[in-house]
Amino acid sequence: MAAGRFLRNRLALAFLGVFVLIVLFVLAAPLWAEHVAETGPNETHTLEKLAIDGEQRDVVTPEGRPIGPVWFDAGGKFFLGADSRLGRDEMVRLMYGGRTSLLIGIASAAITTALAVLLALLAGYYRGWVDALIARTLDVIWSLPALLLGIALGVSLAVGGLKLGPIELSGGSLWVPVLIITVVSIPYVARPLRGEVLALTRKEFIEAAVAQGAGPLRVMLREILPNLSSTIIVFFTLTIANNLLLEAGLSFLGAGVQPPNSSWGTMISVGEELLKTAPLLAIVPGAMIALTVLALNIVGDGLRDALNPRAKIRLEAHAGRVEPEGAAV
Amino acid sequence: MKKLGVVLAAIVLTTGAALGLTACGSSSGGKEGGTLEATYVSFPDSLDPAISYTAEGWTAMYNTYLPLLTYKHASGTEGSEVVPALAKDLPKISNGGKTYTLFLRPGLKYSDGQPVKASDFAASVERLFEVNSGGSPLYTGIVGAEKFAETRKGGISGIETDDETGEIRIDLVQPRATFSNELGMLFVAVLPADTPSKDQTASPPPATGPYVITKSQPGRGWSYDRNPFWEKANAKAMPDLPGGSMDKIEITVVGNDTTQVSDVERGKYDWMQNPPGPDEYTRVKEEFEGTQFRVEETISTYFFWMNTERPPFDDVKVRQAVNYAVDGEAMERIYAGQLAASQQIIPPGVPGYEKFELYPHNLEKAKQLLVEADPADREITVWTLDEPENREAAEYYDDVLRQIGFETTLKVINAETYFTLIGNERTPDLDTGWANWFLDYPNPNALFQPLLSGESIQATGNTNLARMADPALDAKIDELSQQDLSPEVEAEYADLDREYMELAPLAPYGNRATSTFVSSEIDLDEVVFNPTFGQDLTSFQFK
Repeated sequence: MAAGRFLRNRLALAFLGVFVLIVLFVLAAPLWAEHVAETGPNETHTLEKLAIDGEQRDVVTPEGRPIGPVWFDAGGKFFLGADSRLGRDEMVRLMYGGRTSLLIGIASAAITTALAVLLALLAGYYRGWVDALIARTLDVIWSLPALLLGIALGVSLAVGGLKLGPIELSGGSLWVPVLIITVVSIPYVARPLRGEVLALTRKEFIEAAVAQGAGPLRVMLREILPNLSSTIIVFFTLTIANNLLLEAGLSFLGAGVQPPNSSWGTMISVGEELLKTAPLLAIVPGAMIALTVLALNIVGDGLRDALNPRAKIRLEAHAGRVEPEGAAV
Repeated sequence: MKKLGVVLAAIVLTTGAALGLTACGSSSGGKEGGTLEATYVSFPDSLDPAISYTAEGWTAMYNTYLPLLTYKHASGTEGSEVVPALAKDLPKISNGGKTYTLFLRPGLKYSDGQPVKASDFAASVERLFEVNSGGSPLYTGIVGAEKFAETRKGGISGIETDDETGEIRIDLVQPRATFSNELGMLFVAVLPADTPSKDQTASPPPATGPYVITKSQPGRGWSYDRNPFWEKANAKAMPDLPGGSMDKIEITVVGNDTTQVSDVERGKYDWMQNPPGPDEYTRVKEEFEGTQFRVEETISTYFFWMNTERPPFDDVKVRQAVNYAVDGEAMERIYAGQLAASQQIIPPGVPGYEKFELYPHNLEKAKQLLVEADPADREITVWTLDEPENREAAEYYDDVLRQIGFETTLKVINAETYFTLIGNERTPDLDTGWANWFLDYPNPNALFQPLLSGESIQATGNTNLARMADPALDAKIDELSQQDLSPEVEAEYADLDREYMELAPLAPYGNRATSTFVSSEIDLDEVVFNPTFGQDLTSFQFK
C-alpha cells in the first residue's frame, strides 16, 4: 500500500531516478578514468599538452591557467577541463569526488541513524536517569554549532588521526569525516526519535506486551522498533542529504576530506580560488551537490507521504534549529 | 620558524628605473600631501616592533619605529645596505669584532615630545626578551643576554649606555659578522624605556620615524599621521632619511583579494600590500604591468625538506632521487609565474649565489636511484599548509613521490599552526614536507645557520627541518659566520651551497616573487621596494 502511494508520486519517482543516475555516474568513475580519460583522480599533468583539432594545447598555461572544458575534442580527456594549476582531470575528480561525498553521506547517515535509534530506544523505554543522561548528552552536542564542532574535530583529527581502543584511523582516512559528521548529526535524529519512543511506550499495546511478560529487549525490538520503521526510513534519506551538505561544508573549509583526495566540497574549495577565470570548477560540483540533495529531499518527502501521510517529519539544516514537526506517529 | 612563509624580505631585480630609486629626502616631483588609502588582506601579526616577524608588520613599521641602524630606503641590492638611523654613524667595531660602539644623534625626540635617550636602547633590547619576541635569539650573542633571558633581572651587562654623550657600547660573546644587519632590524627599534612589556598593537608606542600610528584597530586597520616632531627635530637630526609625501595613511583590512583588486582598479584604495590572488594575478599583470603593477622578486628559497634522521630519507640516494623527481618548470606553473625555478639553497641577489643545477629533472633517474637505494620504509607522510599555491606545490610533490615509488599520506595543516607543528619533535611522522625561508637580510649565513646547522635542531621551534647535522659543514658555517663578506667568503658560501646540495637534505625548487599594485593615481615609478621591508610608505606619492 505504501509502495503504491510512493509509485503514484511522480515527482518523487522522477527524483529517485535522478538519484539513481547520480549513483551510476559516480560508480562509473574507474571505467571513465581508465578507458576514456586515461588518468587517475590525483595524477597531475601540469606540463602536459593536449592534442585538440590538430593543435597542441597546454593543460596548464605558463601563466598558470588550467584548460577549460574540451568535451570530446580530445577523446574525452579533460572533458570538463583541468581542476587547477596541477592539471588534474576535472571530470575524473568529479566522479571520484562524488563517490567520496556519497560514501561519506550514506555511511555517516547509516551510522547516525543506527546509533540514534539505539539511544532513542534506551532513553525512551527506560526513562529516569538513563533518559536524563542520554538526553542531556544530546543537548550538549545539539547546543554546539554543528559546523564549528565539525571543524574543531576535523582539524584535530587531521593531524594525529584517531586511536580509540581497537579503532585506529589515520588523519587522511575517509572514515574521519564519517566519524565527525556522525557525532554532530546524532542529536538531530536521536532527539525526535526519542520523542516518538516516549509516546509509543504510553500506548496500550506496549502495556499489554509488558503485562504478558515481555522483557525490555523484546518490547524494544519487537514492539517499538517496527512502529518506528517508517520514521527511520524517512530520517535516513533526509540525513544522507544533510550529511552530504555538512561534508561539503567541512571539506570546503579544509576540515573534511583531505587533499589530494577529492570530494564535491573540496572541489568547490579549489574552484573558488579560480572563480573569476574558471567558474565551472566551482559551479559543476556545486550543482551536483544541489541536485543530489534536492533528489534525496524529494524522495524523502515522498517516502514520508507514502509511509505515513499524517506525519510531518522534517530535518532542517544543521545551522538552524532543527525540530520535528509532529514527529509522533 | 615564525618568519617562514610570511616574511617578505625581498629584492627588486626588474627594471633599471627601479634600481635608480633611492627616495631619500622628500618626494621627487609628485604631489605633496594627501591621504594614502591602502589595504592589507589580513592584519599584521603585530604592530609592536619588538614582536612582529612578518613582512606585513615590517612594511607597516619601517617608517615609524627606527633602530640605531636601518636599511637604505632603496630598491634592489642598494636597499640591502645598512645605514645609520638613530645612530650618528655605522658602529665602530673593536676588540676583535666583539665590541660595537655607536652614538645617538643629538636632538632626537619621540612623537610625544620626550627626548630619545641612549638608555632607551638598552631597555628596548631587554623588552625584546621580556615579550618573548621571536627575534630575541638574534641578540643572545650579547654578553649577559642569555642570563637576562632566563632571569629577566639585572639588565643585560653587555650593553652600556651614557645618556649624556649618547654613547652605546655593545659587547658580544664572540664576533658576529652579521650583527650590524641585526642592529638594523625592527626588533631593536628604540622605544621609550617605560613602554609596557606586552604587545602594544592596540596602543602603539610613540614613534621616532616620519609617521606615527595614531589609531589601531586590531583585525580592522590602522592609521598614520605625520610625526609632529619629525620636522621639528628628527628630520634635522637625520637629514639622510626620507620624510614621505603623504600627510596621512589609512590602512584597511579587506579579507578578499579579489575585492582588493577591484577596489584598487577603481581607485577606492591606492595600494594593496599583498599580491593579487591566483585568479586575478595574470590578468592584472597583463593589463597593468609597467603602469600600476610591478613584479618584485624576493630573497627567498622555497623547498621540500627531508628528515635525514629517519628512514627512508637517512639515505642520500633517496634524497637525491627526490631532487631529480621534482620539476622546477612544473612548480613555476603551479605558482602562476610568481616563482622562478631554482635548485639551490642560496637565492639570486644574495652574496655567494652562483647558479648551478645538480639535479636536472629526470624521473627515470629518480626511479633508478630509488631502486638502488631500495629503502625498507616507503610509507611516508608529506606535510604542508593550507595556503593555495603552497598546498598545490605539496600536492604535486605528493604525486611525484608516488610516481617514483613511495606510498604517501598528505597532511594539510592550518597555516597559523603549521610551522609550530612541524618544528616540534614530538609531532609524529615528520618525514618530509613543504617549507620556505625568507631571509631577514641578504647574507647567506641567514640561510645556512637556521636551516642546516646542527645547532639549530631544537625540540620545539625547530628551523632545521631536515634535521641535518654534518660536523664538517657545521664547523664551516660557524667559521664563515664570524667573517665579514668578501669575494673570498662569498666563494666559500657558494661552495657550501654546492656541498649541501650534494647531500641533498632539501629539495629547493624556486624563489618567490611578490608584486606592487597601485591605483592609477599613484606614481608607480617612485614606489620603493626594499629587500627587507617591502614597499616603503615614504616613497608613495600621487601623480
